[in-house]
Amino acid sequence: MKRRDFIGAAALMPFMLNGFKIKSLDKGSSIVKSLRQTMAQHNDRILVIIYLAGGNDGLNTVIPLEYYSEYYNLRSNLAIPESKVLRLDGNPETGLHPAMTGLQQMYNEGKLAIVHSVSYPNPDLSHYRSTDIWMTGVDASKYVSSGWAGRYLDDRFPGYPEKYPNSEMDDPLAVQIGQISTKTLVGNQQSMSVTLQDPDSFYKLIGEPGMSEDNNRPCCDAGDLIEYIRLKQVSAVGYSAEIKTAAEAGKNLATYPDASAKNELAEQLKIVARLIHGGLKSKVYYVELGGFDTHADQVGSTTLEGNHAILLKKMSDAIAAFQNDLKLQGTEEKVVGMTFSDFGRRATSNASKGTDHGIGAPMLVFGKGIKRNVIGTNPNLINGFAPTTGSSRSYDKDIKMQIDFRRVYSDMLNEWFGSATSVADKVMYQNFKTTSLFSETVQTLASGAWLNPDVWSCGRVPSSKDIIKVNAGHVIEVGHHIVAKDINIVSGGELKFLGDYNVNITG
Amino acid sequence: MAYLDTYTEVLDSAGAAHLLRRATFGPTQQEIKDFTGKTADEAVQILIANASRRRTPPPPVEMDETRPDAGKPFITKPFDLSRTYTYLNYVQYWWIGLMTEQTGYPSVLEKLTAFWQNHFVVNGSEVQDYRFTNQYLNLLRGHALGNFRDMVIGVTKDPAMLVFQNGDKNSKERPNENYARELQELFTVGQRDVEGNYNYTEEDVKEAARVLTGWQVFNRNKKDSTTFGVQYNADRHDTGAKNFSPKYNNTSIAGRSGPTSGDEELSDLVNMLLSHPQSPRFICRKLYRWYVNPNITQEIEDQVVIPLAAFFSSAANNFAIEPVIRKLLASNIFFDQRNIAAIVKSPAELMIGAMRFFEQPVPDMTSDYVAFRKMMNFINYSINLQQLDFLNQPTVFGSLPYYQTGYSRNWINETTLGLRGSRTDMLVYPSYTVKTGYKIGIEVLERLKSIQPNFSDVQGTPAITCEQVLAEYTRNLFPVELSQAQKDFLIDAIMMMKSSPRMTWTKEWNNYRSAPADVTRQNIVLWRVRALLKYLLRMAEYQIF
Repeated sequence: MKRRDFIGAAALMPFMLNGFKIKSLDKGSSIVKSLRQTMAQHNDRILVIIYLAGGNDGLNTVIPLEYYSEYYNLRSNLAIPESKVLRLDGNPETGLHPAMTGLQQMYNEGKLAIVHSVSYPNPDLSHYRSTDIWMTGVDASKYVSSGWAGRYLDDRFPGYPEKYPNSEMDDPLAVQIGQISTKTLVGNQQSMSVTLQDPDSFYKLIGEPGMSEDNNRPCCDAGDLIEYIRLKQVSAVGYSAEIKTAAEAGKNLATYPDASAKNELAEQLKIVARLIHGGLKSKVYYVELGGFDTHADQVGSTTLEGNHAILLKKMSDAIAAFQNDLKLQGTEEKVVGMTFSDFGRRATSNASKGTDHGIGAPMLVFGKGIKRNVIGTNPNLINGFAPTTGSSRSYDKDIKMQIDFRRVYSDMLNEWFGSATSVADKVMYQNFKTTSLFSETVQTLASGAWLNPDVWSCGRVPSSKDIIKVNAGHVIEVGHHIVAKDINIVSGGELKFLGDYNVNITG
Repeated sequence: MAYLDTYTEVLDSAGAAHLLRRATFGPTQQEIKDFTGKTADEAVQILIANASRRRTPPPPVEMDETRPDAGKPFITKPFDLSRTYTYLNYVQYWWIGLMTEQTGYPSVLEKLTAFWQNHFVVNGSEVQDYRFTNQYLNLLRGHALGNFRDMVIGVTKDPAMLVFQNGDKNSKERPNENYARELQELFTVGQRDVEGNYNYTEEDVKEAARVLTGWQVFNRNKKDSTTFGVQYNADRHDTGAKNFSPKYNNTSIAGRSGPTSGDEELSDLVNMLLSHPQSPRFICRKLYRWYVNPNITQEIEDQVVIPLAAFFSSAANNFAIEPVIRKLLASNIFFDQRNIAAIVKSPAELMIGAMRFFEQPVPDMTSDYVAFRKMMNFINYSINLQQLDFLNQPTVFGSLPYYQTGYSRNWINETTLGLRGSRTDMLVYPSYTVKTGYKIGIEVLERLKSIQPNFSDVQGTPAITCEQVLAEYTRNLFPVELSQAQKDFLIDAIMMMKSSPRMTWTKEWNNYRSAPADVTRQNIVLWRVRALLKYLLRMAEYQIF
């Protein structure tokens, strides 16, 4: 149950909270107060979106060590040697590309989550179309002109841009560090973000306000364009001073990759960290790293070198420096980040040391706010491939989807930003089940065997640290002893023991 | 109104300016004057005929005066590895020079080539061989008004394209699908039709990749090499039959072997692609977006795209491009009121358009190469800042505002607006020196003098008014009319800076007339008129065309 739902519904019905039955609550009760405070805390939360342009090769980013020989055989000309794969604490079956030492450390500190085999139903292998699907969050068969984060901001800040900046929100709703605005941040009518390359030059560039109150509007498209451009002029002027103030007040406290590394992602995240530290209240930041369309020469003379290794190193170094900066600033609690890309790449490599367009690939989510390190399981490289998209080349293998990316987006809206379920459902056009990324509670998505990963919201069999919630209508069959932090069985749900097995509650 | 019928009204200055803004990178005042009074047909005829005047200009030269080979063509020299990126820039400069020059013979050629260059995209920085990029650009210029079928075949075998889309890596064992996909998705049939149906399948991508196996390039980026190009290696070619889906009527392309197998199968493949009913529509839709309006309604699809595509692919026309351009640019729909000012200027249309409109001369590349380099550097840097990079687009999709939702609006955000303004400001406040005696900038005093009758007769001839100054500088500047309220604002709030009555201008101008050499008096006039110009060029109305 979502917090806002809870506040609204709490007085009417009993419910379970961490195993305690609470009969009724009034608005003055301490638990309601504490939840209200939680809402207030959510209010300053920030999401950083990193777009890896071109379609990142998931299998060489997160390497399924448990299927190492199958992995090697699929792509012997670019497979990472087993001994070089970076190991993860408590997760021997999975490793990272050797260039990603920073992310390895973050994983081991509990600040990085791997979401396995992310895609969407009926995957599209066009860069443009698939990226559009990821940015808009619609079904592959649908088209929409707004982005998912833009729609969210539109809902959260009604009346933008006419009524902004105002005393409640005097900063840009979102900031994109870059050149051309992303569709991700387009709302129902217009872009919800301010795009800037460099906060220091931004103010100078925009200069002093001096626009007329200009009402002349010619007919047709020309009139629409003039209105649009004037709006941008006003928004630039309206926000430039706030951005300047934040950029001057904010400091980078961590060491970022040296300028000679030409790590453009690090340069962008450095600006983001500075603006966050300077107190800019923008809710979403958007940055980008390009070059992932590795059809050829993905690796160099050894598979540890080459274009993909360089890109992954940039990504890992940049994110690690950024996270460290947040920690030193004391802003670590309020920021999470996530990556996305056009699509994954083919599991099988081509003869030109590259990979063609494919389906599933991992998403990375980072920050102190995450509650688990792994969503889903390694792609099954023995018999778990997606149906091949063409029949002529029997050796072609694609990574099958486990997690719909929109479940992660919904978690960002529901769990991270703390919006009501109804808001996320509206923004995403339908309800998507949680991945429990931000929750200690793993809940059932369907009936089935306890040991079937597909039954669980986190896409894997729960561990002893998880709180289990069996949802109404779900029957979970247990054929072994189970250990959990806590178990809640919602009325109408059932744990069906197939024999005499123990339940050990550790919480 | 039959949308594609020829527009029959004689062009007034606004109509002439509209045609020239769209068909070229922007007109000079003289060109607008020359085209006023012509019919659309006559005007388009001239713009097309003029293309032949500059079809083979002198090749790009070394523009660094400190080098012994300065002023000499570099394409035919042994490949100079150390000049890889500089010469790529010079190829860009060469082309931008052709876009910018004011010869008095405006032509469709460079704007149309720019369309094809954003269609059949190759990124020169990735190709890393300026000879390849130069050859690719010449291919596009040569075919721009020619036959689309020939152009598709030429582009497919072009060394720069083979490198950029990994065609040169594509061999029979585990083919590389990169080019096979983009050939269909971006260059010919398009991914989907307007109803959202796929135009081809993933299987078709894989089969096309097999057809395209075997092509290789040689001597790319190879130090001191004197030759370069493409060779077809039949050993790398997949000789099996290639079977396509029902989207292509189950076409089967017979597998061939031997030295001509690649050409033979490519010809079959391109025939198959162009026989797809969506191919001509895809191209015509894109041409409409480029020349007329990015916004395509169902009505436009039915009344313009479909008939134009039928004409393009008709047996009589057989994919000739020139007749399609002629028809579109002279059509009723092109001149329809709703399509005036319906596009945001790309950085090139903004910057090159300003250069041409304010008649900034282009130095001769071969004899005055340093000045040429400096001017082109200014333009290229400006448009790069504003996120356009000719011959070097970020992805094979081309520049984002030509395909992303919102289309040309994507040129505009808070930052690019600032950048656009800061670069047009440089025309208003001249600071960038091209050569001795030539700074990039708008002439103010001479221009005002030219509209002041009897300049020296201060007592006997009244001063030009604020209204006249504004009228002179806004003549043909915007594609839309300013309202009276806007004009009043421009005069009172900008030119007179909300502080002085309009009469003050008369006084200041007359002070200058009576002592034109007095720098203080000059500066007062310049101060006001430049404030006005700066504002005009930053207005939303100047950002569209």
